[in-house]
Amino acid sequence: MINTLAANSLSDAFDGLSVPLYGQLSSGDALVVAAIIHAVLVFHVFALCPFFLIWLERKGSGRIQDRLGPTRVGGRFGWLQSLADGIKLIQKEDLCPPVADAMLFRSAPYIVCLASFAAFVVLPFSHNWVAVSADCGLFILLSILSLEVFGIIMAGYSSGSKWSLFGGMREAAQMVSYEIPLAICALIPIVSAGSLNLGEIGDMQGGHLGNWFLFHDPFTFVAFFVFFVVLTAGCKRAPFDLAEAESELVGGFHTEYSGMRWSFFFMGEYASMFALCGVAAILFLGGWHTGIPGVDGLLQEWRLKGAESPEFSPLGYLANVIGAGVFVSKAAFGVFVQIWLRWTLPRLRIDQVMITCLKYFVPISCFLFLGATVWPLMWMFATDDGLTSAPFRSPLGNRATHAVSEGTKESSSTPQSSAPAEAPEDNSEAESAATGENTAMAEPITVGMNFSEVRQ
Amino acid sequence: MTNLVGHLLLFGGSVCVLLALPMIVGRLVRPKLPTPEKDAIYECGEPAIGSSYIQFDLRFYVVALLFIIFDVEVAFFFPWAAIYGNATQLADTRLDDAARDHLSARLLDQNPATNEIISAQTARSLAITGFFDLLVFFVVLLVGFAYVWKRGDLDWIRALTQKSKQAADQTVPSHQNTSSVTTTA
Repeated sequence: MINTLAANSLSDAFDGLSVPLYGQLSSGDALVVAAIIHAVLVFHVFALCPFFLIWLERKGSGRIQDRLGPTRVGGRFGWLQSLADGIKLIQKEDLCPPVADAMLFRSAPYIVCLASFAAFVVLPFSHNWVAVSADCGLFILLSILSLEVFGIIMAGYSSGSKWSLFGGMREAAQMVSYEIPLAICALIPIVSAGSLNLGEIGDMQGGHLGNWFLFHDPFTFVAFFVFFVVLTAGCKRAPFDLAEAESELVGGFHTEYSGMRWSFFFMGEYASMFALCGVAAILFLGGWHTGIPGVDGLLQEWRLKGAESPEFSPLGYLANVIGAGVFVSKAAFGVFVQIWLRWTLPRLRIDQVMITCLKYFVPISCFLFLGATVWPLMWMFATDDGLTSAPFRSPLGNRATHAVSEGTKESSSTPQSSAPAEAPEDNSEAESAATGENTAMAEPITVGMNFSEVRQ
Repeated sequence: MTNLVGHLLLFGGSVCVLLALPMIVGRLVRPKLPTPEKDAIYECGEPAIGSSYIQFDLRFYVVALLFIIFDVEVAFFFPWAAIYGNATQLADTRLDDAARDHLSARLLDQNPATNEIISAQTARSLAITGFFDLLVFFVVLLVGFAYVWKRGDLDWIRALTQKSKQAADQTVPSHQNTSSVTTTA
């Protein structure tokens, strides 16, 4: 176990391990074992997120409306309320109206949960604490999360109720539109970071608060707030919860659902809220870095120590645990702000929701994207010294490298030897994640060709 | 690749199993007593009229068509942004040697050991080229967007807006009318 904790990835640790009754594990076996462990660990996060967040939502809404919220279950603060809800929901009758399309109706909640759970595959919780450190992680994460809408549309269509149908169609309209500003805003820090690997993006924001992409330039600063509003809409949270809209559509897409099946929609919803707030934390708010200069330096030192020693180093591990804590708190705070918004703002009308996206968020995010692109060029032309960011900042490239190379040391040769091999993989990963967009990854090749022309 | 696909499959499989578990446990403890009233579609206490599998106005299919194109274009931006970010980082003359090695390797997709090093000057011209590439790409997209906006395809109630525009040409404009007429879907 100690070796496991010191290794760069779980599958490396299991490779060649001898197991009683089975013999030596091949690298394929190791991969499967590692994947199972990842799945079990991440499922706990996935299940505990809604558990805690639903309690937080009830407590928060209670306080905002001058009530107490749950107080009884589990003693103080009613913190076991979600468990009591779960037990109640298991005992509820599982209804499926005869007019509904039973197969679609029963499978829709699974699709919603599957999409939001699979997004956790590429979401890092701390330095190197990620199930798969994919080089196009952000792209995969966004494309997987957007599959959630299929579950909602299936639920809405198959219920056989007009309320559900309206809810499902609204959700389709909303999601298709809000995906655009969401993706463009997610790109704005990438223009500076130059990497789609969420782990690398998080790592390069260490040091102090000023290194967070939020404060990188004025465009990323505004982009964070736009991103946050758009992700609230993307999670169909109030004031954009038109798919549910209990005061006009009864319950929208889940009108006909009951019991456990109904609660799966909420598990998926809270988990994807958490995942998207986590992405916001990584892209803009420094990920697992505290932002306090002294503390960040110390944690980085511990990590380096852990990376240098071949054996398990408790300090390096502790630094990662603290990092994970910081990351989870940032993401949970993001969710709390969403809860706060829900119980503070009235719901928009569907046409207002669409107009807000089409006529405000899309142009604003396009402008911010162009602004963030021009920013380094502006410094390039304004100063003759060849700067690409403000003179008082350390060059981003240095940060990007030292954060990453520190990870490289951890398993001396693996990342280096696998670096060229990983790149073609990414192409196909992107294809499998987003079919129909397979030309997307052709771009680096073209740019690379451009580049060789430039060199000549 | 195998790693990622394996993980996705396994995560998908495990979440289905772990969600099916409480459903199966529930089968033992929950009642199953369907009645015609309980099985009826919820319609606020009234019997529902007609089926819900009907044709109805999707409202926004023009927008959907537009946004499919937008979506594809945004998918092109992801790799572009990664390369551009790399190039602008390399264009910085303050970069130390280790960083330059690493970033060049990443940009050229090479093993760091047999690395060609990209000078700040080259990276700078790459960044500028990249910027103009993007500009051409983006301007075409935005011109299309502006055209659709001008044509009124982005309005929720297109027919009404056009009617009110025609009415406005002839008589006094009545914008309040248009904004107060809304639909539920």
